[in-house]
Amino acid sequence: MRVPLSWLREYVTVDATPAEIARRLAVSSLEVDRVIDVGVADLDRNLAHFLVGRVLEVAAHPNADRLRVCQVDVGEGDARQIVCGAWNFEAGATVAVALPGALLPILDEPLDERELRGEFSRGMILAEDEIGLGPDHAGIMVLPDGIEPGSPLVDALPIRDQVLDVTPTINRVDLLSMVGLAREVAALLGGDLHPPEPDDPTIVDGEAVEVTVEDSHGCPRYIGRVFAGVGIGASPQWLRSRLYLAGMRSISNVVDVTNYVMHVYGSPLHAFDRAKLAEGRIVVRRAHAGEELRTLDGTLRRLDPSDLMITDGERSVALAAIMGGEESEVSDATTEVLLEAANFEPIGILRSSERLALRTDGSNRWEKGVDPYLAEPAAMLASRLIVDLAGARLTGHVDVHAGLPERPVVRFRPERATRVIGLDVPEGDQREILAGFGFAVSPGWDVTVPTWRARDVTREIDLVEEVARAVLDRVPATMPLRRHVRGRLTKEQRLRRIVEDVLVGAGLSEAYTWSLVAADPDAAAIRLPDPMTSDQAILRTTIVPGLVEAARTGVDAGADDVALFEIARVYLPAGDRLPDERWHAGAVVGGGYAAAKGVLEALYGALGLELRVVRAPHPLLHPGKAAATAAGWLGELHPTLLEGVWGAFELDLATLFDAVPERVLYEDVITFPAVLQDVAVVVDEDVEVGALVDAAREAAGPLLRGARVFDVYRGDQVGPGRKSVAIHLAFQSTERTLTEDEATRLRDAIVAALGERFRAELRG
Amino acid sequence: MDAQAFESAALAAIAAAATPDEIERVRVEYLGRKSELKLALREVRDRETGIVLNTLRERLESAIDAREAGLARAELDRRLTEERADVTMPGTPIRRGHLHVITQIRREVEDIFLGLGYTVVDGREVETTRYNFDGLNFPAGHPTRSPLHTLFLDDETVLRTETSPAQIRTMETQEPPVYIVSLGRCYRRDTPDATHTPTFHQAEGLVVDEGITLGDLLGTLEYLCKALFGEDRQTDFRIHHFPFTEPSVEAYVSCHLCDGSGCPVCRHSGWIEVGGSGMVDPNLFDFVGYDKERYTGFAFGWGLERIAVLRHGIPDLRELWRNDPRLLEQF
Repeated sequence: MRVPLSWLREYVTVDATPAEIARRLAVSSLEVDRVIDVGVADLDRNLAHFLVGRVLEVAAHPNADRLRVCQVDVGEGDARQIVCGAWNFEAGATVAVALPGALLPILDEPLDERELRGEFSRGMILAEDEIGLGPDHAGIMVLPDGIEPGSPLVDALPIRDQVLDVTPTINRVDLLSMVGLAREVAALLGGDLHPPEPDDPTIVDGEAVEVTVEDSHGCPRYIGRVFAGVGIGASPQWLRSRLYLAGMRSISNVVDVTNYVMHVYGSPLHAFDRAKLAEGRIVVRRAHAGEELRTLDGTLRRLDPSDLMITDGERSVALAAIMGGEESEVSDATTEVLLEAANFEPIGILRSSERLALRTDGSNRWEKGVDPYLAEPAAMLASRLIVDLAGARLTGHVDVHAGLPERPVVRFRPERATRVIGLDVPEGDQREILAGFGFAVSPGWDVTVPTWRARDVTREIDLVEEVARAVLDRVPATMPLRRHVRGRLTKEQRLRRIVEDVLVGAGLSEAYTWSLVAADPDAAAIRLPDPMTSDQAILRTTIVPGLVEAARTGVDAGADDVALFEIARVYLPAGDRLPDERWHAGAVVGGGYAAAKGVLEALYGALGLELRVVRAPHPLLHPGKAAATAAGWLGELHPTLLEGVWGAFELDLATLFDAVPERVLYEDVITFPAVLQDVAVVVDEDVEVGALVDAAREAAGPLLRGARVFDVYRGDQVGPGRKSVAIHLAFQSTERTLTEDEATRLRDAIVAALGERFRAELRG
Repeated sequence: MDAQAFESAALAAIAAAATPDEIERVRVEYLGRKSELKLALREVRDRETGIVLNTLRERLESAIDAREAGLARAELDRRLTEERADVTMPGTPIRRGHLHVITQIRREVEDIFLGLGYTVVDGREVETTRYNFDGLNFPAGHPTRSPLHTLFLDDETVLRTETSPAQIRTMETQEPPVYIVSLGRCYRRDTPDATHTPTFHQAEGLVVDEGITLGDLLGTLEYLCKALFGEDRQTDFRIHHFPFTEPSVEAYVSCHLCDGSGCPVCRHSGWIEVGGSGMVDPNLFDFVGYDKERYTGFAFGWGLERIAVLRHGIPDLRELWRNDPRLLEQF
């Protein structure tokens, strides 16, 4: 909301600069996005160059058809001659004048005296766009009669102003109003509050106003007022300027009044052309199925039976609280007006406004819950202005409601506020703070909440907040005592970090890929019923496909050594409402099976685990180069997924971590050194080396401390369909030094076992 | 044998040896198993000859050792004088991976709070509306409850919109004192642009204990701001509104670029918003069965992306999900 300070200061007298006002409001009340300087420059006594003038004479310009020569009294005794191109005034008009030397936002240089087609012009009669008070350049500004010529223009129009651009939080709809903001400023900065006290016009030629509210939940209050003899026309300059500075467009006097009063009180109003309402009547009800309404933005809206409608009993004339209908809109031809000052229930309005994707200044307030008491002063001020500005007669009034809500009373303990805030705020100060915000505090600390805060403040803690926000910038920064705390990661969290570090150390970079994917290998994967896009429709059960895409990004970017990992959740359908969320670690690395396995071996080694794999197919992997581990799978990426040769793995971390020993126990591996021997055996091509190692362990027992395949040879020396596998063997006892002979006997036992199990022949 | 002639010949050979190999050959020739001296020693029958030959052997051994050491020293001197590396040549490459910048920040925030005695809680990402909304005091009709803002799996299941459900789950399973942080992915129906991605990361903090004050919250956030953004940063706190805290406070840190004097990054305000927080609303304590008279608490939820933007100047949050190696390897 835009808040012109000149307007705000009409309701609050406070000795504070715009910056001080903005700062206090920002700390204690609402977000102040910025402070905008508007109008003419305020330097070198520039404002003194702007005066109110009265046009004494208007004469045709002898040399120019479009110009006129005016004699203008600006309080100097003699009139000033000013040449003017506007035609919307005559002698006697009160106008805004800039004297030579004035700095105008539209001019690069100060205004000077000059000749226009042979006639001397000693100043300028101003249009609103020339000093930032409006968009209009069709004519000059005509001010109300009765202002003394020579008066400073700044007293009549906000030619120099600061405008706050503010955004209240959703609980503070009362701050979407000039009165609400004035109250905050008065309370926070010690100002005097003087809100408008509208002088309600008396009803003349009284008539009945027929208003029926069929849905009093949706519309708890409806004040309908009717006016006759309405003269629709342009608004006076002060109203145009205020609306302009407040970010609203001037439309016509009656429409401008509704917008103006909404800005003053925060309770939106609507004006109907009463002649367009069947029998001048209002019926508030929900929309009928299939009903349509053309709103005044020209759009035909298809309505839902949950939408609250203002109707005339026959058809809808407005989408309640959101936007009026085109047909019943006030126009130049309007002479009778029905003014709506109502109250609407917020949630329904929010739903309709969201469904129709139609947000207006009105709906923005209603959806947050406007105080129903405000309808009355809003109706009074609007009536006064319609009567004054449109020459109308107020001819009828009705106020339909089934009782207005009671003001909540909340028991409050000032010492509780002090305890929660952590700052000793004296009781007298707390009482003063609450009173300033409009709360009535009894001597025994029963606090009656003002009507405009009744939705937001219902509990003691809500009152504590009122005190807290007033003293927020004085609250000392302390630290909690933190007795009985224990700051450490769980085993799983610690191990996850180790996995991250090992993979980074192995040269892999961490990618972040989306949890929501377009497709997942698991047909049962959870699908969002209403996804944002088809790309983000399914909760993934596996990480590697996302990494494949990420690797493709890397390849496309020209990287020749892409190696990526990710640690993230997968979401396994579990039959319950909630899926089984599991941490997975996945990786995609250039170089095929061995590359993936090398990384995995490093990872297992770091965790104190031995990597054991068995051949097992996986849909993402090359069928001949795929393996499973207890915690997941690894292999060469299926060649159709990504061009080139890639290795990949994915592990379920909880399963992996279950096997990680709590601690490593000491073993004496120094005192009795290992005896190292190598063996090479020739076996059939399809015998897997892992099976040879397993068999070797089985044959040699615990004295075989290490067995590692270090070479596989295929060729003429071993014959077709056969391969030679060379294995380092390390024999070691923790109790004595083994002899070479013992080692050789064990080695022979291994060779014998391999011969028996795999037709292995010792290679010479 | 003629010990004297043998000694002269040996000493001459030792003096002539110019390399470690040559001195080794001399050792074999004059002291080896088949050397004249060794053979003579084997033949010795009388004590006197034995003494003479043994002392000769010791003399030769020490002469050879001395020559060997001298040669080694000369060789070392030569290497140290002659050998020379171009120290500006690149080293042997070792491939190094990179943690994602958000992970780096996640760990840093975790470590800050581990140091303060907090534990780290891994919350769920798929949540029931009970934990995502009801327990957190979201009123009926709150915009976040709308499918326009939140991704629903069904009427009662959502992708969490903030890390706060972890607060409720933690309080349901443990009695105060509670000192936790919870970090991870959150989801909202936001169209991706420079400042929004539909998946983002939050760091949630929750403290519940006797005597916790708003001042404790401000002190903790000030500590966090300084730890993340530097000791010379100023902090500022302004009132805000969230369903799960009362009162609620938004934290600001003085702009790192202009140091508070105003620049485009801070929109000429000198301050940058870093995250929301507040005192735990007593309704949450009612929900989990804590004594709201005895305990007070505070909570905060900050975006990790925001920290990344402020600290690293990342201009567009979508970059964090691009996985281009040129981006990943910057951090």
